Formats: sequence, structure tokens, C-alpha cells
Amino acid sequence: MHITRRGVLATSLAAASAPLIGRPARATGMKLRLGLLHTLSPAPFYMAQARGYFEKHGTPVEFVFFDAAQPIAAAAVAGDIDVGVTALTGGFFSLAGRGTLKVIGGGLHEQKGFQLTALVVSKAAFAAGLTNAGKLGGHSFGITQYGSSFHYMLGRIADQGGFDLHSVTLRPLQQIGNMVAAVKTGQVDATMIIASVAKPMADAGEVHIIGWVGDLVPYQITALFAPSRTIDSRMSDLKGFCDAYRQGVADYRRAFLEPKRIAADTDAAIADIRKFIFASDPDGPQKIREGIGWYDDGAALDVADVRAQLAWFAQQGMVKGDIDPEAIIDTRFLPTR
Amino acid sequence: MLQDRRVPFRASGYNPQTYGAISLLTLIATIALWQLAASQGWISTQFASSPEAILQSLRNLYASGELWEHLSASLQRLAIGWVIGTITGIIFGLLLGLFSIARSSGMALVSALFPIPKIALVPLFIIWFGIGEGSKIVTLVFGVFFPTVINTVAGVDAVPRGLIRMGQSFGLRPLSIVAKIVLPGALPSIFAGFRITTATAIVLLVAAEMIGAEHGIGAFVLQAGNLYATDDLLAGIVVLSLLGLCVSFVVGQLERVLLRWR
Amino acid sequence: MSDVALDALERRGIGLSVCAVSHAYRGLKALEGIDIEIPPGEVTVVVGPSGCGKSTLLGILGGLVAQEAGEVVLHGDPGADCLNPLTYVFQDFALLPWRSVAGNVSLVLEDHAMDKAARAARVAEVLALTGLTEFADAWPRQLSGGMRQRVGIARALAVRPAVLLMDEPLSALDAQTRDLLLDEFAALIARTGVTTVYVTHNLPEAVRLGHSIVVLGRRPGRVREIIRIDMPLAERRPDDTALMAIEQRLWALLRDDAAEAARELA
Repeated sequence: MHITRRGVLATSLAAASAPLIGRPARATGMKLRLGLLHTLSPAPFYMAQARGYFEKHGTPVEFVFFDAAQPIAAAAVAGDIDVGVTALTGGFFSLAGRGTLKVIGGGLHEQKGFQLTALVVSKAAFAAGLTNAGKLGGHSFGITQYGSSFHYMLGRIADQGGFDLHSVTLRPLQQIGNMVAAVKTGQVDATMIIASVAKPMADAGEVHIIGWVGDLVPYQITALFAPSRTIDSRMSDLKGFCDAYRQGVADYRRAFLEPKRIAADTDAAIADIRKFIFASDPDGPQKIREGIGWYDDGAALDVADVRAQLAWFAQQGMVKGDIDPEAIIDTRFLPTR
Repeated sequence: MLQDRRVPFRASGYNPQTYGAISLLTLIATIALWQLAASQGWISTQFASSPEAILQSLRNLYASGELWEHLSASLQRLAIGWVIGTITGIIFGLLLGLFSIARSSGMALVSALFPIPKIALVPLFIIWFGIGEGSKIVTLVFGVFFPTVINTVAGVDAVPRGLIRMGQSFGLRPLSIVAKIVLPGALPSIFAGFRITTATAIVLLVAAEMIGAEHGIGAFVLQAGNLYATDDLLAGIVVLSLLGLCVSFVVGQLERVLLRWR
Repeated sequence: MSDVALDALERRGIGLSVCAVSHAYRGLKALEGIDIEIPPGEVTVVVGPSGCGKSTLLGILGGLVAQEAGEVVLHGDPGADCLNPLTYVFQDFALLPWRSVAGNVSLVLEDHAMDKAARAARVAEVLALTGLTEFADAWPRQLSGGMRQRVGIARALAVRPAVLLMDEPLSALDAQTRDLLLDEFAALIARTGVTTVYVTHNLPEAVRLGHSIVVLGRRPGRVREIIRIDMPLAERRPDDTALMAIEQRLWALLRDDAAEAARELA
């Protein structure tokens, strides 16, 4: 067969111009860069990756790990990642409100009975009577940043506990490590710490756990989002990605959340997750079992919860202007709750 | 054949002047151009606010009383931190400038500690001095102290020895020699240090307010950054910049009064 | 110079003996076995080529340089109102640029218990004496060299010194200013009667001011000759033949040393 130079040129031109013409349809086969926190929370993505679901759906995925939630949203706007999964923060809504980001699917939930995030108080504050969440008013509270998920969770606890959030002295400490240190040394009265860190501290008598966020204010803590650019130009890649994600969530639920689960399924899932986190930690399996959180069936998006979060941030003045919730949610990719 | 030639003037240039009107006009033109570019849509205002939007944001901050809340917290930190750092710095600088033992050991310490980025020490200061005002003020004190010491020592070194000998020849008390000859003689150099330390203090203020601060311009700017509130962020930057201008004006006036003998 | 009451300043000079003073600098003998009697109320001029140690000798007299051997003895009591018996007038004036003329003059007075009025009176007195009254509030930088040295003189006189130590006080000034100030010095010294040791390399200055002129040789600095001039200061004129003869004699004594000094590396 003869391949003329002109022929090659013609085909490559056609391929190059395809997205410009706006003919959507077929997967490009290009890697999709997923921004995520290097924690246990995106476990279904780890499983989908380990099991080759992304390739199977025609969308190979590259993980880009971050150590805080805010930069993931910024990276998506800047074009460093094509899709992301993280907590919906004030900064996220502020960026999304400018039409640059859309929430496209559900993620991890703080759910009754799942001990993910502990409400922790210092020894001194506990001794002085801070023994339940309703008494946080008038105390100091360590968070990472204004508008972070910690700030949001505290706000919801305030609404529920009937105290004024403004009576709490917020201490933005930038890093989770600082929050742990601050509550341990009594420099803040209370803060929130993930279970795997909080439990040993409480057992050692360094702090007191006075409640779990999942029990106090269950909500959808993380969500899947994509910059408008990805949605516009790589629709089918994103659809393939979401299908693979659903499959990962299905496996995850079967391995960890089903009442009648099979031990072999759980072990296989743990092995796959450990390819990405706790790889060299001998206590890895134990940590994974204890840190498992809730994912809705089909990775469904809790639209009402996203609306509630946006409303709270707007009411607090942390998100400026009127943002239409519909404009920042795209339900074409995954089911809704 | 010899020809008559007029001798030309050759000594022009190499003597730049500052024309106040041109300086001011440049600032105004830059802002006007920025506003024009924003309102004409030449630059996207999605993530780069227009001067108008920043002004509006400042107006809101002022009207809600937030501006004063943040500004007073910051000014208090700046004032306390700068004054403590400056006074201790001058005292140490005089000791280092006057006594061989103090100089030998002190200069070694100062040279070792001066280049440390103070921002990197903020978490440590929090453990040592608490999450409240203590660690913030210590961060400022630390940042102001070292440049002050170095400038004071340089200033003491620059005092003509002849003047000190004059004081000794008249039988002045050592304390009088320090207070009336060494300190005033070192003052120009100390003042040059003020220009550096006031700017450093404002930079460090933002770093110090990063952790655990509810109020303060630095905290406000960081909070706006976290929330991607671009107008507020830039409004905070404008306030910091104006604060810097004000402080530098005050230092300039103080210099004019105290160093009018020059 | 204005006419002011000089009761307080008059006749306060006391005598000074320099006995077997030696000094070495970096192993080199600079001064060796210097013996000079400085009579009260007189001007003793020390001349010599550069490097003969004349400024060092003045430093030893003023207690600013530690001698290697010998001693300097002050005869008599300078009096209660004398705040600094041996007082310097510097070649480079050594004025504090951050103090006004009056501030420079009162600098030393501030260090002593003295009520404000008394201090102000003393400052006013010496400013009037040196013709500086209208410049009391000026900064040193605003003054010419000659005016600055007048401030130096005023500052020295304000402490009511027993002995004035003048270290080449005119050498930083231009020739005309030098001549004017020289006459003023002569008048001031004559009126106040303060004992003066005056170091210079300028021979006309020496014969204009000196009651005795000490000629130092170099390497090591020794007293080569002491010349007396008994003519009262007020009567000395630049064209006086006797004085010109003394100047010639001084130059003859110094010439070879001066030529040698000029060829030396500093």
C-alpha cells in the first residue's frame, strides 16, 4: 500500500481540526489528569485505576496529587489538571461562580456511623466543661483557612447546636499539622482531626473526642468537578472517566459498605488501594478498614447538599455575588441523589 | 591652516533628577490605563480586578467597619513589634559598636541569624510564644532587630574618632559620650535602617498574620486569597501599599527633623 | 573681637613642667627625654618638621597619649570654676555637626552641675568674646572654616581652662583667614592670660604668638633649642625686623630636617 505524503497530511489535519469543528463523540485517547488529595478519601479512584477501568473506558487517567483542597480548584482553573475531586470550599465556589468550574458528581460523605472526622477538644477546655459540640460558643477553634471544609463543618455544627458562629474565635492555622499541635498544647480549645490521628491522641489522654462530624452534621464532603474547558472539549473522555469512576465506586461499596460483603473482595480492594496509599505502612490494611467512608450508589451527586453549602458560604459573605447553583452543577455525567 | 573653533560644553548628563509631577503622573496614567483596559475588555476582569472594583471593595470595607478592625489590629502589631525590635536593636548595636568582646561574640551571632528567613520560623514562634499576639510580635521584632543592629554598628563605626577623642579630651562622662556623640553620629545610618525595617515589618506582618489571626490586613489578604475574592485581595494589597507609603512618609519627616543638621 | 568684661577669664594660667618625657610608636623612638618648663600665662610654641612628634607631645600633655617614660606636672590649683584644666583646640575643629554653635559650646558645661542661667551666661560670654553671638543658632556646616575654629576656641574658653593646648589650629584654613585669626588669638591670649601650648609647623605663627619657641628635631624627637621672645604680643608686627630674624634662624634650624622629612614615605 502506498501512503502518499499528501494523504498523511490530510488525515492529520482532519484529526487536528476535529475538536475545533466541535464534532464531539469519540474519545481522544489522551490522558485525563485527575487532581486529588493524597489521602484515603478518593479510594474508589485508586481502585478504578488499579483495576484498569479508566483504560477500559477509553480514558487513561494520570493522578496529580495535592496536599490541600484549595489548590486543586486553582489548578483546574489554570489548566494544570482536567478534572478534580476535593472538598467544596469557599474558594471553590468563588471560582465556580465565575463560570470556570462545574460540579459533576458525588464523592465522600460524612455519614452517621462513620467515624471520619473527630471533633476534638484540648484537655484544659474539656476539664473546664467543653464536653459537647453545643458548648463550642465562646471558645477558640483551629481551622486550616477561612472557607475551608473545617470552617463549613463548624458552621453547620453551630447552626445545629444553637450557638453563634461569630462567638467562636477562629484560628486559621494553614496546615492540619498545626491544628493537631495547637489543640494538643491547648493553644486552641477545639478543632477537627481525622480519625486515624485523633483516636491515638485520645487514647493517650492528650485530647478528648466529643463527637464525630458524621453523626453531628452528615453531608457530602467531597465532590467530583471539572473545569468548563474539559466539559466543552473532552465531553466523551469525561463520560468515559465517569463510567470508570462509577465502576470503582460499585467495587468499593461491594468491598466495604455492603452488609453481606465477602472477605476476599475486601482484601482485594485493600490490596488495590495500597498501591496508592499506605503502601509501605504495615498497619495499612487496618487504617484503610477504619478510615472507610460513605460513597453513594453510582457516585451520585447530592445536588441539594451542594446548594446548601453554596447558600451557607454566600450567607457568611465568603462567596460574593449571586451565584446560580444550577450554573455550577452539571448532571449529565453521573446520577443524582 | 589653523581654524578657530568654539569650545563646546561637554559635562552634560549623568545627573538624574526626580520630578515629582512626572512621578505622580506615571502612577495616575498606569491606573487610568489599567481601568481603561478593564472596562474596554482588553484584559479579563475574571481574575484581575479593575481599579474601580478595587475601590468599590475598599468602600465596602470602610463602610462595614471591617477596614478599621483589620487596620487597627495590624497597626498595633506593627507599632509594638517595630518599636521593641528597634530599641533592642539600637541598644545591641551600640554595645557591639563600642565593646570589643560584645562585637566579637555579637557579630558572629548576628551574622549567623540575620540571613534566616523569619517566615520559616513562624511555626516555631507559635510553639514558643503562643498562637496569640506573642508569636506575631516576636516575628516582627526578630525581623526588625537584625537590620537595626547591623545599621547601628555601621553607624557607630562611621562616627569620626576625632569627635570621640574631643569628648574624652574635655573629660565628658562615658555615658555623655555615648548619648551626645556616638548615638547622634550613628543616627543617619540608623535612619537608613528604619527605611529597611519598616518595609520588612510590613512584609513580615502578612506572614505573621498567616497563622491564628482573626483580624489584621495580612489575615484579610490571605483570607481573600483563600476565597479567591480577587477584589478584596487587591484592595488589601492597596491598603498594605498605602500603609507602606504612609510609614515611609513618617520616617522621612522624622528624618528631616532629627537630621536637619546635615 | 568685642569688648566684654573679662574678670572671670583673666589671669588664670598656671605653669606646667614636662620632665624627661619619652614616647615610642611601633618600636620607633618618637620623643626622647623631653624637658620643657611652660611658664604660667605664656605662650609656648612647639615647632618642628613633620614626624618630629610635636602633636604626640601635645597629646601627652592633654592626657590623650600615654607616654613611655617621664611625667607632666601641673603647678598650682586651676580654681573651682575650671571644668577641664588642660583643654584642646583641634586642627579639624572637632565640632559636633548635630549641635548648633551654642550647643557645641555648652556641650561640656552640660556635663557639670551648674544652673541653667549660669551655663547660659558662660556660653553668651565666650560667644561674645569670639564674635559668634549672632551665629549662636547656626549649624557648623553653615560656617566658614575660620568661624568653625572660633567655635572651637569659644568651646575651649567656656570651660575656663588653665592651659590651652592648640594643635595646629590654623592649618586647615586659607592664608587670609589664618592671618585674621592669628591676631585674634594673640589678643585673646593676652587678655585672658591663659597658659598656652601651641603646636605648629608655620614659622610666622610661631614668632607672632610665642613667648618661647621650642624647636624639636626628628628621629628621635629631641629639644634642639628653645628661643625666647620677650616682645609683648600686642606689639608684634609682621614686618618687625627682629621677629623676621628669629624666623630666619628657626628656618635655618629646621631646614635640613624638613627636607629630609619631605622625601620620606608616610
